[in-house]
Amino acid sequence: MWKGVGVTLGYGAEADLMLWPETKSRVFLNTLWLFLRGGTVACLGIGVCIGSHAMALADGPEIGPQAPDTDYSPTNGLGSWIWAAKTYDRQTCQLWRAFDIPEQSVVTHARLVLTVDNEFTLYLDGRELGRGAEWRELFIYDVTHLLSPGVHTLAIKAYNSSFLAGMIFCLHVDFGDGTMLEVKSDSSWRIVPEGTKRWMTKKKAAKAWPQATAVAPLGGAPWWINPQNVNLIPMLQPIKVYFWQTGWFQISLLSLSGAVILISLKLVAQLALHRKEQWLLQRERARIAMDFHDDLGARMTGLVVRGEVVQSELPEDSETRRQIDGLCEEARGILSTMDEILWAVNPKRDSFRDFTSYICGYAQEFFKPTGIQCWFDLDPAASSAVLSLPLKRALLMAVKETLNNVVKHSRATEVVLQIKWQARKLVVAISDNGAGFDKTSLRPGRNGLANMAQRMSELGGTCCITSEPGKGCRTEFSIPLKDARRPAWHWMTRSDRPLQPGPAAATETSDDHIPQIHDAAKHY
Amino acid sequence: MMQPSTTKDEKSAPANHPGASSAKSRLRVALVEDQPKVRESWVRLINSFPDFYCVCSCVSGEEAVRVIPQHQPNVILMDIFLPRMSGIECTARLKAILPQVQILILTAMDDQELVFLALEAGADGYLLKRTKPSELRAALLDVLSGGVPMTSQIARLVIDSFRQKAKTKDESSELSLREEQILELISQGYSNKMIADKLEVSIDTVCTHLRRVFAKLHVSSRTEAVVRYIASKTL
Repeated sequence: MWKGVGVTLGYGAEADLMLWPETKSRVFLNTLWLFLRGGTVACLGIGVCIGSHAMALADGPEIGPQAPDTDYSPTNGLGSWIWAAKTYDRQTCQLWRAFDIPEQSVVTHARLVLTVDNEFTLYLDGRELGRGAEWRELFIYDVTHLLSPGVHTLAIKAYNSSFLAGMIFCLHVDFGDGTMLEVKSDSSWRIVPEGTKRWMTKKKAAKAWPQATAVAPLGGAPWWINPQNVNLIPMLQPIKVYFWQTGWFQISLLSLSGAVILISLKLVAQLALHRKEQWLLQRERARIAMDFHDDLGARMTGLVVRGEVVQSELPEDSETRRQIDGLCEEARGILSTMDEILWAVNPKRDSFRDFTSYICGYAQEFFKPTGIQCWFDLDPAASSAVLSLPLKRALLMAVKETLNNVVKHSRATEVVLQIKWQARKLVVAISDNGAGFDKTSLRPGRNGLANMAQRMSELGGTCCITSEPGKGCRTEFSIPLKDARRPAWHWMTRSDRPLQPGPAAATETSDDHIPQIHDAAKHY
Repeated sequence: MMQPSTTKDEKSAPANHPGASSAKSRLRVALVEDQPKVRESWVRLINSFPDFYCVCSCVSGEEAVRVIPQHQPNVILMDIFLPRMSGIECTARLKAILPQVQILILTAMDDQELVFLALEAGADGYLLKRTKPSELRAALLDVLSGGVPMTSQIARLVIDSFRQKAKTKDESSELSLREEQILELISQGYSNKMIADKLEVSIDTVCTHLRRVFAKLHVSSRTEAVVRYIASKTL
């Protein structure tokens, strides 16, 4: 019996290897080989091995419910060499055995010992525990933690490179109640035909699987000597399966990301479509502006100029001349109204800067005949932001209304027009130094104030009027604007999306716009 | 509606200006306008003024560049929208040939951005086509006496234009401190008179500064304006 687990009887083994590397196929040398093996072990074994004694004891099923190290031998409990009924070169033999760990039992220790001539891969319940390719050495696995109550499957994929082949095996399980279980290599093992699917995890043997054949007892010819070395494999732990490694988790993660990708694609497509619409809308607006200008504008201008010529050639005090003068004035009025519509419709004049410029120009001209001095307090920054058509129009209308009120009611001498960005808000404020008024004295419904407030609230903004008698009046419109930051894919869609006013943006479609151009005409 | 506001001191034209001092010699006006009826009407209107007469009228920018230099006009009235060569390009070309001539841009639409492009290209003023005859005559006289078309809007555009150029160009196209100061005041709503009072200078000095601004603007941006106009036509 061997002592000293893990002690390498290295010298002999090395000698063997030197003499006999992969030469077993040469049958005529086999006897010489065995002789040399026996000889070297006998001569050079370091006293721990007493060959014949070991052979004598090897078969004995003597192991009781103990395992103190002193009496312990790796060969203890090993079964016979088993194999398939037929042995041939380059043969793969699939050995199968199931065993049952009783319910409510506690495994205190489980040791699995095996070797195969020539190679093996060991599986327990489908999990690969290890490999070996040295029949002269034993492989010992501590599987204590792998054996939960229930049926377990042992599977060994063994390979014979040439000549003789066999497998010896022992699984020794100690339970907490002092009982034990042993599984040895014997004819209860089954040989699984090649090509069988999932045989490593099958809990029951198929009828077609033949029983294993015991080819030799332990220590019997032709493996009549004992293993030279023992490979003690570190204790195996159950594979920890983290939740992200479980199948259901991975499947749900996968489907979740799939759904996310699909939704994003849909959104991107929608956005692209929306931008395309915006671009078409802008083009349409540009076209309308051009039609207005090139056709109506040019013809009206022609009428005015011709009217002036006719008028200038009539006698100074004729009635016809006065009438033609009236016609020309009317036509001029129409043309200036058209200018305003064109400005509102023209997508090239959508920027904050254009808006400021237009409002200031309007105010300056508006106050020129009144003698009211108009001052401008403008924000030099944020000049390239874009205002949408409804916003542009609503603000223009509101400012016009306010300026009208100033001229009609305030008796002011100075007006300050303020256009600023304040914390993502566009603020347009008109302050005068006029008479002011008491807000409570205003008759509801009889002024444009409610109207302005309504317009602003439609765009998500506010209209705030502060006034006291004798202290002038300040009208402030403020409208929150969304950030017009361009998304990364803006190049896909060519057009630049205008800054949209708050809630109005969501409902704005191309259909909304066209009628508004005509609405605008009505309002002016 | 918006009319060009000018900076000219309205009492008298400078005596050194050609033709202005002589009551008998009428001032020569050239017209570029593609619509026949409008062109005809304008010619009749101009000829109805005692101190102006129309020396030639052209239907296109190409014709204008070819014909107008021979007639040596004092003022050119230029439609901003012309087929093929635009009024803006035509202005830039004529200014290069006849640096002394005054060019007034005619526009049907009151669009300061477009007008500013024309001013950059070398125009000396602008007029709405629907302007009354009396105002037309005043504008002609004004531009001949060195008036500068300057509103708060245009002042802002001029400031912006020079600021953008300052990033790329040399000092010759930069505004002086005083010029920028005056432009800022105009953009805030000050009139020339108020600026003169505030800065304690004469109105003439203010006007001189503004003329110098326009001269710099023309030198630095004439060709660019043409290019920008062409670019602005495509959406």
